[in-house]
Amino acid sequence: MMKLKSHIPLLIAIVGLFCLPLFIHNPYYIHLAETILIYTILLFGLDIVVGYIGQVSLGHAALFGIGSYTAGVLFIHFGFPVWATIPASIIVTAFFGGILALPALKVIGPYLAMVTLAFGTIAQILINEMTWLTEGPLGIKLPKPQLMGAPMTEAEFFWVVAAIMILALIVVDRFVKSQMGRAFEALRDSPVACDCMGVSVYRFKVIAFVISAGFAGLAGCLYAYSEQYISPNTYNNELAVLFLLGIIMGGRKSRLGAVIGAAIIVLLPKLLDDINLFRIVASIIAIVVVVGAAMALSKKVTTARRVAVPLAGVVGLAVFSFWLNSIADWRLSIFGFMILLVVYYLQNGIVGFAKSFYQSIAGKAKTTRGEVAEEVDDSISFISAVANQNTGAELLKVESLLMQFGGLKALNNVDLSIKRGTIHGLIGPNGSGKSTMMNVLTGIYVPTAGSVLYAGESVVGKTSSDIALSGIARTFQNVQLFGEMTAIQNILVGLHHTFQSNIVEIALHLPRYMKEEAEAHARALALLKFVGLEDLANEEARNLPYGKQRLLEIARALALDPELLLLDEPAAGLTAPDIKELLRIIRKIRDSGITFILIEHHMDVVMSVCDTVSVLDFGQKIAEGKPAEVQADEKVIHAYLGT
Amino acid sequence: MELLAQILSSGIAVGMIYAVIAFGFQLTFSTSGTLNFGQGEALMLGALVGLTCVDTLGMNYWLMIPVVCLFGMIQGGFVELIGVRPAIKIKSEFGWIMSTIALGIIFKNVAENIWGRDALPFPSPLPMEPMTFLGANILPMEILVVVGALVMMLLVEFFNRKTIYGKAVVATANDRDAAGLMGINTSMVITFSYALSSLTAAFAGVLIAPLTLTGATMGGALGLKAFAVAIIGGLSSGLGIIVGGLILGIVETATGFYISTGYKDVPGLILLLLVLAYKPSGLFGKSAIKKV
Repeated sequence: MMKLKSHIPLLIAIVGLFCLPLFIHNPYYIHLAETILIYTILLFGLDIVVGYIGQVSLGHAALFGIGSYTAGVLFIHFGFPVWATIPASIIVTAFFGGILALPALKVIGPYLAMVTLAFGTIAQILINEMTWLTEGPLGIKLPKPQLMGAPMTEAEFFWVVAAIMILALIVVDRFVKSQMGRAFEALRDSPVACDCMGVSVYRFKVIAFVISAGFAGLAGCLYAYSEQYISPNTYNNELAVLFLLGIIMGGRKSRLGAVIGAAIIVLLPKLLDDINLFRIVASIIAIVVVVGAAMALSKKVTTARRVAVPLAGVVGLAVFSFWLNSIADWRLSIFGFMILLVVYYLQNGIVGFAKSFYQSIAGKAKTTRGEVAEEVDDSISFISAVANQNTGAELLKVESLLMQFGGLKALNNVDLSIKRGTIHGLIGPNGSGKSTMMNVLTGIYVPTAGSVLYAGESVVGKTSSDIALSGIARTFQNVQLFGEMTAIQNILVGLHHTFQSNIVEIALHLPRYMKEEAEAHARALALLKFVGLEDLANEEARNLPYGKQRLLEIARALALDPELLLLDEPAAGLTAPDIKELLRIIRKIRDSGITFILIEHHMDVVMSVCDTVSVLDFGQKIAEGKPAEVQADEKVIHAYLGT
Repeated sequence: MELLAQILSSGIAVGMIYAVIAFGFQLTFSTSGTLNFGQGEALMLGALVGLTCVDTLGMNYWLMIPVVCLFGMIQGGFVELIGVRPAIKIKSEFGWIMSTIALGIIFKNVAENIWGRDALPFPSPLPMEPMTFLGANILPMEILVVVGALVMMLLVEFFNRKTIYGKAVVATANDRDAAGLMGINTSMVITFSYALSSLTAAFAGVLIAPLTLTGATMGGALGLKAFAVAIIGGLSSGLGIIVGGLILGIVETATGFYISTGYKDVPGLILLLLVLAYKPSGLFGKSAIKKV
């Protein structure tokens, strides 16, 4: 019932959308609205790349073009009907999205932006030059799809586009809220941790690009039918920047934001065609910002310095608009200027701004997410029943391991043997190679020489996510949580391996997906309760206090059903009561049969829980044995005290 | 053989221009980890300002160069102040990428409004009679381009290695925080690196202008290809960009000759994608060790 109620505004909006052609008969306006819907579909896809995996793509105009041209080429060469060109456009464009993702995988940030820009440029050149296929600069004309023997009217096609847009909306919304969407956000927040949770960054970046491109292809195909004429010049890099502007201005990670963004980028050029209208709008914006800034200043929410630049910007824009006689020539400048303002003063987009404004008015604390802590089902076994047998058998064997960085031997001929069901301490002064060992064991570094056998199999050369899935989980010395995700979502990323459902099941909410999601949710809550964080389940991880973040990391690692758990300085920065709690948790996990490697500087922690302790110094193992023996070892004392 | 020599000589001249612009990318990347996506527009503005100096103000080509360099410095500093500094402050990668793109769009549009949309010829300071060398026709201007590009890069290297101000730049490049703690005004150094980067671009603009046409749209493709060069060679290697520039310049000229000038830009960009896919740190770059 609650659910239905919250959907009412959406339903009204959908009904309104479908009724639009009944009230507006001017085909020009219907066409405009249609274009907004088409751009919205594209922005849904672009948002996956920009909002969820946090990458800048300047290649979406080209993908949009590939979608259009797939439809156009299939039509003029083979006479394909629309029901065949739509899936073809999606598939072909998704394929190109995959190609675009391949080099993009190894690079981040500015590199990726440039790569996508290069991709866009190549695509445009190829469309222009391959005249035998694309008719080159002449472009392709194609009619509106047929409906019962006659071409559709503008209104009929509008309904088709609107229906597809609603479908896209549902699919995207379900998709980003599924385990896939969580994987995307996780790889944005911490790629390393994401890999170590068994969620392959590599794989999910490709998936994100492929799906994003699929939406671009769908939008491109519809656009071709909507315009009835396509030419290479439409799909230039400026369009790509326009799409980006749309998504940031509307608001990232928001479906409503995509709609608003699409409306802005479609209407903006129209607005800029009319100098009088532009003067009025620029003046209104200037007045609103001036009044807003004055209010903010009087309430001392902000400082004069901070508002000076945007004030000067909007007032300058208004004055500029009256000075100009014709606006057409300055369109791009105004457009660039808007990007600057949006990037620095409207980072979360209109939707994000409205949300935080609403929260500040309504006086809601930003941190509570409005949900009451849910009931935890205590009967769930949240820690996997690990092969509890064979305690004492060898689980991990490291032999003459060498890890060399240039001339530095961070690990030099180290042997380790970890017995099942034990807690193995790894200590040593700073820089002795402890964390390097962790990184080698989890596949982040590939050792220069030596072997690492885990449960009889070599892990050298395996990817981090494969190693994680084979049963080695870890925490990080400098906490690597997925900061913008809530505590429970962090754990759900760790539970990613329990999901089998595919994209179709997610889109249709088929039973298997619903079951997996419910089970994972219940287990995540149980894990949170285990580390005492059930009340903070819906709190963003970055807002948690430091000690709680460390506990959350442990819970997330447990979600992976590990046999071997690597804890890298879990007690660092913890208060005395926190440490006590930590020890309780470690012992309890050990009792369920999980094996530990524990790096720690707190000697009392090491001495009280470890069964065996190995000591590293300058990359070499200098001692090993029971805690008490190691404590008395001459070499160890020398390494620590230097006397 | 003559054909080969011809392709090589033309390719080398173009390639050296790419190398100089790529050098500009390196300068800002090393100090601040940011790039100016409007680098091509900096080149275009340099060329057009140079054209105005020579054509309208009747200045001598050689006298115009320092004026253009000064203009480039101011333009680069402006980009840093408006577009990059706020982004560095809020640690927003998205921010500086978008704002330098936006500034590039604005510069291009302003240039269109001032100088018009048509490409303009740039008077050559050297005779346009080709010289024959190994059967290839070489324009004196092409030799000037190669020499000018090398001199520019050597001067900046000399500045960085031998002067105290240059050492501040190098220190900032190595470790911005540590340099800041040593009393170096690192944000000043970053602004300076942008000024220097646009200076080299503007200089490249007036070098290449007599060989091509000048116009508001000349920058986009050049900037992108220079980025390809910076990636192919490696963002940290001086030798890399020269080699990368030469490879790209020659491949491009050969493509234009053997296939079609329409496809001229394609192989370079494909090369870029390939290098990124197989050796992201570039042919000459060192790969960084990720710290966890």
